[in-house]
Amino acid sequence: MTKRRLAEIALPALSIIGFIAVWQIVVEVRGIPPIYLPAPSAIAVALAQMARDGSLWINLAATISRIFAGFAVAAICGVALGLLMGRSRIVAQIADPWLAALYPLPKISLIPLMIIWLGTGETYNIVMSAISAFFPIVLSTYAGVQQVDRGLVLAARDLGASPRQIQAKVILPAAVPHIFNGLQLGMGVTIILVVAAEMIGGSDQTGMGYLLINAGQVMDTDKVFASLVVMAVVGAVIIKLQRFIDRKAAPWAVHAGPHQD
Amino acid sequence: MLLASRFIRSDDVRVEMDVRVEAVSKVWNVAGASPVTALDTVHHRFPSGRFSCLLGPSGCGKSTLAQIVGGLETPSTGRISIFEPASGRSAPPGAASIMMWQGLNLFPWRSVVDNVAFGLEVAGVGRAERHERARAMLATVGLTGFDKHLPRQLSGGMRQRVALARALIMERPILLMDEPFAALDAQTKIVMQEELLRIFEASRKTVLFVTHAIDEAILLGDEVVVMTARPGRIKEVIPIDLPRPRSFDLVNTKAFGALFQRVFHLIREEVTKAMAKPTAGAAA
Repeated sequence: MTKRRLAEIALPALSIIGFIAVWQIVVEVRGIPPIYLPAPSAIAVALAQMARDGSLWINLAATISRIFAGFAVAAICGVALGLLMGRSRIVAQIADPWLAALYPLPKISLIPLMIIWLGTGETYNIVMSAISAFFPIVLSTYAGVQQVDRGLVLAARDLGASPRQIQAKVILPAAVPHIFNGLQLGMGVTIILVVAAEMIGGSDQTGMGYLLINAGQVMDTDKVFASLVVMAVVGAVIIKLQRFIDRKAAPWAVHAGPHQD
Repeated sequence: MLLASRFIRSDDVRVEMDVRVEAVSKVWNVAGASPVTALDTVHHRFPSGRFSCLLGPSGCGKSTLAQIVGGLETPSTGRISIFEPASGRSAPPGAASIMMWQGLNLFPWRSVVDNVAFGLEVAGVGRAERHERARAMLATVGLTGFDKHLPRQLSGGMRQRVALARALIMERPILLMDEPFAALDAQTKIVMQEELLRIFEASRKTVLFVTHAIDEAILLGDEVVVMTARPGRIKEVIPIDLPRPRSFDLVNTKAFGALFQRVFHLIREEVTKAMAKPTAGAAA
């Protein structure tokens, strides 16, 4: 193993271990009340207890399934609409004012309306998740289709490809890096929105957001931290996994970026 | 009309084809600026089996002319006829020609063999057959063992060979080449020029080769069509009656030197003129 590779693995690990150690020492030496800042050891104990009584797994499963259900709906609808917009000027012009108006709207502001319409059940959570991911996915797909190198389209035409073949064999693959970029952005906001929706959704619920707000209301600070740790790890794993899939799906675009010609 | 014309049976186009350019002009209408005349009433005949080099300063419309002949641009006025000299039977623009592009335009997500086989794939040729033919064509252009590589994993010279194979596999009688070797380093360029000479001398297609390099035009061509600075007109056609088969050794001969001098004096005037003009948005 080279020195550089060793540093790539050791330094991030050292950074985290060092931070936890300082945290533990400061809490113990200064005698900070656990209600403000529990020691890492206390958080670990709370986490272990949540795992043992099953509350961690039930709520984590609920949150993850909402994230993926909403994301799947958004990915299918978003990529489809983005491709249609790229193909038809009419569709693009019809969709454009809605995208322009709704994209910058903070999706979290739709929560009250969605609760009025849908209640606080599973539908509400999945719809919030889907709405949040939909916009970045549509816009990235559309941008990808529009930015396809014209030279590639001309070359395909010269080689005898029909408009439909150009769509399927040139424009779609050329837009893949943009589409994946949109999917990554979409996943990021979906995670945020699902947890936020769970926090606001009410007490008859499940999910990490629910667990978090519940623990906060009864000042179970160690459980709050334990939930935050779990969500940070889950988020990081999802994003890393997505990058991994991205590299497998479009290896030609990894270093070159979407604009290579 | 342009696309429908592509679906022509390959045995219809595996014949000799002449290109006649009649009073072709091309005017680019640039938004918010005065129109730019890229080509001004160009007449020329490119007979079958002849290697013609279009030579001129940047912006003289030589690439535009090649694209018009290939049916990839439409002329503003004038017409292109493509016909079999023996029978007079004509083909629509694009049906009998294939372009090798300046930027190559290889599909970055396709492997080498799938890039070369693209034209066969869209024509409905089965996977096994098109791969076999693509590999055979890659061997012809001197690239074997890189079938599964992506274009970005290849050197510049290897990518050129892929683009050449992708064009040649179409078996069109007219080969259009738009400064294909401009981006290569000097040594690789010489190798590719010799490769092209070998392939041309074996196949005798009608070739329109766009270049701004005088030595390249003389080395490769049966004639050098010297164009004026914008608006592009044909200034003079210089026959290159150097013997074939040719190799790069030709550049050291007296005859080559004399031709170089002649072409250089013609082109120097035009380059000076072109440099005095502001560059417009339109493509060369």
